[in-house]
Amino acid sequence: MNFTRVYAIVLRHIFLTMHQLERFADMFLFPIFGLLLWGFVSVYIGLNSAGLAAFLMGGMILWVVFERVSTAVGVDFMFDIWEQNLMNVLASPITILEYIGGLVVVAIVKVVVSFLVMLAIAGIFYNFHITTLGVSLVLLWFNLVLFATVLGIFNIAIILRWGHTVGPLTWILPFFLQPFTAVFYPVDILPNVLQKIAWFLPITHVFEGMRFAMTSGKFDSEEFFTGLFFNLVYFVFTVLFFAYMFNLVKRKGTLVKL
Amino acid sequence: MSKNNVPVLEVKNLVKKFKNFVAVDNISFSIEEGEILGFLGPNGAGKSTTINCFLGVIKPDGGEIKIFGKGLIKNRSEIMQKVNYCSAEYHMPWNLSVYESLLVYSTLYQVGSAKKRILELLELFDVSDLRNKRIRELSFGQRARVSIAKSLLNHPRLLLLDEPMASMDPDVVDRGIRLIKKIQKEEKISILYTSHNMWEIEQVADKVVFINHGKVIAQGTPLELTQQELKLEAKEPNLREVFIHLSRRSLKEGIEGKGNPSTSLRVKS
Repeated sequence: MNFTRVYAIVLRHIFLTMHQLERFADMFLFPIFGLLLWGFVSVYIGLNSAGLAAFLMGGMILWVVFERVSTAVGVDFMFDIWEQNLMNVLASPITILEYIGGLVVVAIVKVVVSFLVMLAIAGIFYNFHITTLGVSLVLLWFNLVLFATVLGIFNIAIILRWGHTVGPLTWILPFFLQPFTAVFYPVDILPNVLQKIAWFLPITHVFEGMRFAMTSGKFDSEEFFTGLFFNLVYFVFTVLFFAYMFNLVKRKGTLVKL
Repeated sequence: MSKNNVPVLEVKNLVKKFKNFVAVDNISFSIEEGEILGFLGPNGAGKSTTINCFLGVIKPDGGEIKIFGKGLIKNRSEIMQKVNYCSAEYHMPWNLSVYESLLVYSTLYQVGSAKKRILELLELFDVSDLRNKRIRELSFGQRARVSIAKSLLNHPRLLLLDEPMASMDPDVVDRGIRLIKKIQKEEKISILYTSHNMWEIEQVADKVVFINHGKVIAQGTPLELTQQELKLEAKEPNLREVFIHLSRRSLKEGIEGKGNPSTSLRVKS
């Protein structure tokens, strides 16, 4: 792994972001409006149940972390396709691992900015401080970002194979998962069959872990390690799937036609 | 030959098939240090596929590609550090300024004193005044000049130019050719150059490889090819006539069942 080449990808997206105000909208407006909406819902619910309101706000903030990282990896990849720049990049010494590494770093930097904005708004307007979770929050973040990266790599693999016509899946896939991941409600609420699906998703364990930490003030290591286990399984399978697709498009010659 | 008597680029029996279509059919050739090789052929002949194999973005089905004496597959990153590429088909990042784009590529290629090198190349290609313009605001010709500048950022030892001047006017092509020749002589770059403008190739190429239906059907210096293919006692190369002759001969052979007829040529001989 050559970090200078990873930095080149980061630099390319820093310049891109500086030139496009709509890229700031991605980082600021989406989280702000999402938080305002769920903030008011939480305030309303909080009149009867302060705990439930906190779950909603916490769920919303952590969901944005997951959704933004996953989407950013796919969208930033598509920028190179839209700008017909991908071939110039892939013809350079960069390896595909470094290239994707760069995209993931960019996504994490962006989500840190979004997260800080959300923290400020939640604190100022709703007196909600997710940072009270302390170290638990860092570990929850770890599992969230890892699974978001897995989903982002999966998106890139299918875009490589089927072209940017399947690009919209980048935005859609996280929302396909949302009902099963118990973002805003406990897994027990789901019907039995869906519960079984939910437990196989790493971020279900993140949101369950968040609720446990908020209620008890303790870190649920079992949820963390279960989530981590599934994350690692999906990570290995996604990397293998990606490697297969990347090889396939190089063999079929469709990589240069993206 | 390079310092170690190893060709800069050596291709042996390269094969690439797309299902039943043979895009590159057992081709072999080499480029020596400081040599400019004109890589010619009609549309769909297999030129770009071959170049993409050299870049490692298309996986060959057979044969061997060695660059600087090293196998491409195992040493791609190391090799690409000293190779660069330019094609009119692909762009620099549209939303970045000229300078920013070149800075990103300098970082990708880990160019030392990047700023100095960028300014030097912008000056050389007469695009210094465009440094703060975004790529999307440039004309085709200006974009092409910036792309060529990008391809020289890392002082490449091997340069792959796939119709680099396709969208330039004759004056700019003339100046571009002179610059490329000048830089090539100064830095002893080896170049593989494709173009449909035979004048360009006559100006730059030391040697020409002509392919059709993925096969090498002729190679030699521009003058040798002219004499050999047109059966003339020519004193000047005439690659335009050689191109037409070879393309039509190849098409005719295809129609008579000696090969696959070109899908892109519709000319009767």
